[in-house]
Order: sequence, then structure tokens, then C-alpha cells
Amino acid sequence: MPAADPPVDPLTETSAPAGTSAAALRAAIPLFIPAIPFGLVVGVAITDSAMPTAVAWSTNVVIFAGAAQLATVSLAATATWLTLVATAAVINLRHVMYSAALSPRFNEQPRWFRWVGPFFLIDQLFALTSVRTSLSGPAWRRFYLTAGIFYFLSWTTVVSIGLVVGSSIPVEWRLDVAPAIMFAGLVVLGLANRPGIVAAVVGAGVCLLALDVPNNGGILVGAISGVTAGYLADVAEVRRAEVRRDTTGAQ
Amino acid sequence: MNTFPAVAAVLSVGMITYASRAGLIVFLAERPLPTNISRALRYVGPAVLSALTVNLIAGGQGIGGVEFVEVAALGMAIVVAAVARNLLAALAAGMVTLWLLLWLL
Repeated sequence: MPAADPPVDPLTETSAPAGTSAAALRAAIPLFIPAIPFGLVVGVAITDSAMPTAVAWSTNVVIFAGAAQLATVSLAATATWLTLVATAAVINLRHVMYSAALSPRFNEQPRWFRWVGPFFLIDQLFALTSVRTSLSGPAWRRFYLTAGIFYFLSWTTVVSIGLVVGSSIPVEWRLDVAPAIMFAGLVVLGLANRPGIVAAVVGAGVCLLALDVPNNGGILVGAISGVTAGYLADVAEVRRAEVRRDTTGAQ
Repeated sequence: MNTFPAVAAVLSVGMITYASRAGLIVFLAERPLPTNISRALRYVGPAVLSALTVNLIAGGQGIGGVEFVEVAALGMAIVVAAVARNLLAALAAGMVTLWLLLWLL
């Protein structure tokens, strides 16, 4: 075969061979930047947490999922063990989608990697690795692990910085409100279509009405209502589109 | 929260997080999720995160725990997130609104 130029990676626009660790890092770093304020907020929330600080910090190593960590450390003051775990389980449902989407890529991988790899599967890593159809076998594995370990180390560092900085900020600054603002921002940025807006509005509204449900059960009542409403809105939207297509087709 | 229930909670959430990431990769290779389920899963994010926002603002004290300044800060953050599509800008706008109102009121 004739020697070809090194392929230009469309996502990073570098000519580093796509399967090298350098290419993985170059692709991974830009996606980490938006996670920095989130990591700082988690760090501050750890200093505010009703949990012992060391236990709350250990969420970095044991959980390694920003939204689930933030919920765990900030709900510790008011929630029981069971609501806390149930809430985190619902927050983590999106990982099931990632897992489903990536499972064909993992089939060709060795068994040890099928067990180790998923631990690192945060949103950014999914975004990076699910689109890399040009890589396979050991090259995809090296790319996945390099980016995953990079995210793990930098996330833990940023959260630790937030923890150190947060404990020296006075209470009057009301940094306790930051997690709620963060979650609201994540909702808005994640809204891709009308059913998504329906899900968010119903989720928030029902939770507001259900605030008196004991043990923070309102979160789950709101979440289940929101998902149901979003799903129904999605079904209705598809049906409307079909009706529209049928009527225009008949003319 | 004492050390023991805190450790138990963190370990449980850790196991659930790992299970939701690894479950289909380790055990259900090549079997796709039913379309209805994956369609419903798309709305888990907005539904649970917005419910969580409301719950955190109430701070475990029911509707009486919701303060005007917090709602104003959230509203500003939501508007900025929608317009600028940037999480850092939304966080900054929300916190600055909160500080301004706390200083003014």
C-alpha cells in the first residue's frame, strides 16, 4: 500500500495519528473547560455538605459523575439515605443511554476493558468516543482510556480546588444557591426540543406542588411526571407530523 | 449526616452510577434498548434536574423555604443560559443578580 498522509482528525483538526494518546488529550481538553465551573461548585457544595468533608470528597473517586455527586452532597442535609440514592439513580438514567449506544464498540474489546471502561463514562467521554468510528480495537481503547483518565484526574483536581477556595468564602456570599443555579443552567442547555421543555416545566411544577411530600419524595414525583409528560409530548409531536404529512400527501 | 450513613449513601450511589454505565456494556452486549424506552430516557435529564432545582431552592422547608432573591437569581440564570448557551455565563449572571439584590434589599 502506498504511504498516505496522516489523516486529519475532523474533530480536533490536528494531524496527530488519530489513535495516539496525544490526539486523545488534544480532543479531550476543550470539552473539559465548560466543566470547570461545575467542578468548583461541587467543591464548594462539599464544604457546605452535611456529610463529613472527607466522605463528601470521596464522591470524586467512588461516583465520578458531576450531577449525581452534587445531588448527593447537597441533599445530605435534608434527605434520607433512600431518597438520596433514588434521586441519584434517576439522575444517572442518562448513562444507560450512553451504555446502550457504546455497547457495540465495547463488544470487540477485551473483558477487562468492558469492566474498567464504563467507570469513566461521563458525558464528555461519551461525546468524544461515540463519534470516533474511524478508530477500532486497541486504538479506540487507548483513545478512550487516555481521555477518561484525563477527565478523572482533572475533575478531581478542580473539585479539590473548589473545596479549598469554598471553605474560605464567607457564608454571606450565599454560595449555597450555586448548585440550584447550576442545575437550572444544565436544564436549559440540555433542552433540544419542545417535549424537552414540557418535561422540564412539568418536572419543576410538580416538584413545587409536592414539596411537602416527606423525605424529598417530591423530586421523584416531579421527575416521573416530567418524564411521562415529555414522552407523551414526543408521541403527540410525531403523530402531528404524520398527520401533516398525510394531509399534504393527499392534496 | 453521621459518618456511617454518609459512607453508605456514597457507596450506594457509586454502585448505582457504575451499574447504569456498565450494565448494558457488560451484560447486554448487542441488544439495543426498545425504542419506547430510549425515547422516554431522553426526558429524564430535563425532568429530574428541574425538579432537583426546585427542591434545592426550597431547602427542605417546603414552599416557605423559597426566597425571592433566589427565584430572581434563578430566573436571570435561565434567561442567560437560553440566550448565551453558556453555563459559566448563566452561573455568573445568577450569582451577580443574587448579590446585587441582597445588597439592595
